[in-house]
Amino acid sequence: MNFRVVFKLIGRILLLLAGSMVLPLLVALLYGESPAPFLYSILLLGVIGGGLSALPATSRFYAREGFFAVALIWLLTGVAGSLPFLFSGWFATPIDCIFESCSGFTTTGATILTEIEPLPKGILFWRSFTHWLGGMGVLVLATAIVPSLGIRSHYLTQAETTGPVFSKLVPKQSQTSKILYSIYFTLTAIETVCLRIAGMPWYDALIHSFSTAGTGGFSNRNASVGAYGSAAIEIIIAVFILLFSVNFAIHFLLLCRKFREVLESDELRFFAGVVTLSTLLIAVNILPQYDGFLQALRYSFFQVTSIISTTGFATADFVLWPSFSQAVLVLLMFVGACAGSTGGGMKCSRILILLRSIRREINQIIHPGMVEVVKLDGKVVEEKVIRTISIFIGCYILVTLGAMLVLTLDGHNFTVAFSSALTCVSNVGPGLDAVGPTGNFAAFSGPSKLLMSLCMIIGRLEIFPVLVLFSRGAWRKT
Amino acid sequence: MKIVIVGNGKVGFSLAEQLSQEAHDVTVVDTDEQSLRRAADALDVMTVKGNGVSALVLRDAGAAEADLLVACTNQDEVNMVCCLTAKNMGAQYTIARIRNPEYASGFDQMRQDMGIDMIINPEYASAVEISRLLRFPSAADIDTFCRGRVELIGVRLQEGDFVVGAPLYALPDRVKKLSMLFCAVERGEDMVIPNGGFAPQAGDKLYLIGQPDSLDQFLKLLGRSTSKPKNVMILGGGKISVYLAGKLLQMKMKVKLIELREDKCRTISENLPNVTVICGDGTDQELLEVENLSAFDAFVSLSDRDEDNLIISLYAAQRGLPKVVAKCNRQNYTSIANSVGLESIISPKLITAENILQVVRGMQNSHGSVMNALYRIADGKAEAMEFIVSPSTQNLGVPLKDLRLKPGILIAVVVRKGKIIIPEGSTSIQEKDSVILISRNSGILDLNDIYAGTDQSPAGTGGKA
Repeated sequence: MNFRVVFKLIGRILLLLAGSMVLPLLVALLYGESPAPFLYSILLLGVIGGGLSALPATSRFYAREGFFAVALIWLLTGVAGSLPFLFSGWFATPIDCIFESCSGFTTTGATILTEIEPLPKGILFWRSFTHWLGGMGVLVLATAIVPSLGIRSHYLTQAETTGPVFSKLVPKQSQTSKILYSIYFTLTAIETVCLRIAGMPWYDALIHSFSTAGTGGFSNRNASVGAYGSAAIEIIIAVFILLFSVNFAIHFLLLCRKFREVLESDELRFFAGVVTLSTLLIAVNILPQYDGFLQALRYSFFQVTSIISTTGFATADFVLWPSFSQAVLVLLMFVGACAGSTGGGMKCSRILILLRSIRREINQIIHPGMVEVVKLDGKVVEEKVIRTISIFIGCYILVTLGAMLVLTLDGHNFTVAFSSALTCVSNVGPGLDAVGPTGNFAAFSGPSKLLMSLCMIIGRLEIFPVLVLFSRGAWRKT
Repeated sequence: MKIVIVGNGKVGFSLAEQLSQEAHDVTVVDTDEQSLRRAADALDVMTVKGNGVSALVLRDAGAAEADLLVACTNQDEVNMVCCLTAKNMGAQYTIARIRNPEYASGFDQMRQDMGIDMIINPEYASAVEISRLLRFPSAADIDTFCRGRVELIGVRLQEGDFVVGAPLYALPDRVKKLSMLFCAVERGEDMVIPNGGFAPQAGDKLYLIGQPDSLDQFLKLLGRSTSKPKNVMILGGGKISVYLAGKLLQMKMKVKLIELREDKCRTISENLPNVTVICGDGTDQELLEVENLSAFDAFVSLSDRDEDNLIISLYAAQRGLPKVVAKCNRQNYTSIANSVGLESIISPKLITAENILQVVRGMQNSHGSVMNALYRIADGKAEAMEFIVSPSTQNLGVPLKDLRLKPGILIAVVVRKGKIIIPEGSTSIQEKDSVILISRNSGILDLNDIYAGTDQSPAGTGGKA
């Protein structure tokens, strides 16, 4: 392990974070609030980051260093992002600040705040802005704007980008990162304008756009998107949620006018199918609670998109819905968004490949000699990928159950403990029962909050990078 | 002695070459006409074409009267049956090359039932040799005598070493009082046995013999690392690699093994779960860097191709690894490798031949003093031998300063009742001592051969084994 280059990299990222805090600083100044929390944070991060990035380092940087660095950087980002919260004095303990910051960067959107609205606008802006930064990835941003990190940067983005297979859009990694961020930025800007037109104030529009773009879920209103009570706003947000939860390669293909490839994408079709089916099932199920099918469809559609994309906005308190609807939502939390999007969960492509390999397994029991390859988008999925996916899904479930076990130590019931663990690992935000859309995570103990913060990062980085950090081999030199 | 060699492969040929040069009657048996012709052209041996398992062929080759039969075809089973048949015909001593480790475990049974007197496993012998080299990383070669009480090591001198330039008698006392001796020096193509006035130069390869502790201390004074390597990278997943990895694990080293073929990787991982097995092309520098080659303490290159081994070992040496060992079967590469700085070159073929040769020599003089060990040093230009002194040895009790030895012979160490004596003028040889000699003449078969004015004991009079 080449620790020097990892530390140097960490230094660069801290500088980048310090730079990104300039934006909330300006917002605070604009609304006449105290800029102190951001000034202190920028100063602290600047000094530490500057010191670390001045380290001399060799360019020995391979997959091991990449995974290691990404995991470590995400853990530190969680801490660094909590500094403005800490200095603002609005949070009870430093652990709460870390939880909120991890929840932001991992685009989870779970909060320990009971009252959101009284907070300063600058702090709330930073809270949502972490979603935007974390959604596409801090390191992807770094590879896009830092001219040359002097290392093989695809090892970094590989660990940070979601999905089972990593591929670049164009030959150069920095170019790929730039394209991704351009698409990301443009979509966010369009959404902000749309929301403004639909009647939101500029500030609120921006906050909700950030949250949608990162598929995070932080709002500046206690009642989330439901507070506006406007069908237009809900539809705009739902549509943009869907846009952000499909693979960004699809957007790139659209830009390149390769429409046929977009339509032939198995994952996209699977995603669309799951969304449609879940929306209809829930709409029928909740019909008795609402007046008319259209009304039910509106709430069902918003909630399905919000949960499957792992955003976690709410327009209705789904804890009050029938248990079938709640169960569907829990399953959607597992499934998650598409690979290569800003969403969390296991990802549709993994589920699809799993389903297809299950079918193959059954076929092979019936015809023992049968040879069959698993395909996705008409291309053969390598056996190694299938194996990794199976192990990934196993790990995902184990991590969730393990976290649940520890959370029950706090004395919460099964529903709360399980849905909290799942919502953290899947980066959704709200859970069921006491941690539902109107609830929050304030009731958990300090250690539980730290564990949940770790679970969010494990889920955001898709498990393996963080496990690498805990393996002895990664710390050894040989 | 009458010797039959069945199987004219790499080992068989080099054995035949060596033994025929030492005036033995060698018969080579092989099924391949071409390889027999090569042997007949190049060596002074008789050739018999045929399968070594067939009694007829063996009779033709004179197995019934043979003092020694060496079966070294590429098939273990053939070698076994061959030894069995020959033993029944009347061959005195049989050696079989058996590579499959599963057979090795039942060796005692085999000796009884199949009449195989000795099993030789070239890959295993090579692994033992390499593991010994790794235990003593700063020495280019290392040989042991008296069950490890005495070691002989070779060290290449560099510019700036404190022994360079000064005659040996002027060495500081802390070196002189060490229980060791400068027994040979290889300079370019020459080999000298140094006296007190000898001044070593940079580039010389110094051979030292003595107690392992003292040698260790000397290497420390010389500023060479003497610590055992902790992390070893092995290139290639052949038999030697597997034996070696097992041995290194026993020595508490961490082993990373690189092999190209995935099925081989799987088998190795099955058998040696504590070895990190990497499937990939070990001659690819990128892969070696990904696996962080420069963080390792030792690199052993054991792929099938000599050229690959040498080149990639050079690369490892250039990356600053303290110990690099390469396998190289072609002898003419060894000197080239040495000249570019690769000191530790292992040749399984030579190791096997050396082991068998040692047995042959031991059989030959079993009537006189027993030769316990024989090593060839300085690229074969000298031999180091260990004898047990028997009552028939001449000049017992005579101080060494009064003895007239043949030129080019050095009595390096005397081991008496487990105590190591570095001989001085007043030292004398006594019965039951172990004596270690360095000799520039090959063909010393008995301790009595070292005295000036005696003839060498005639070859071919070896008694029963």
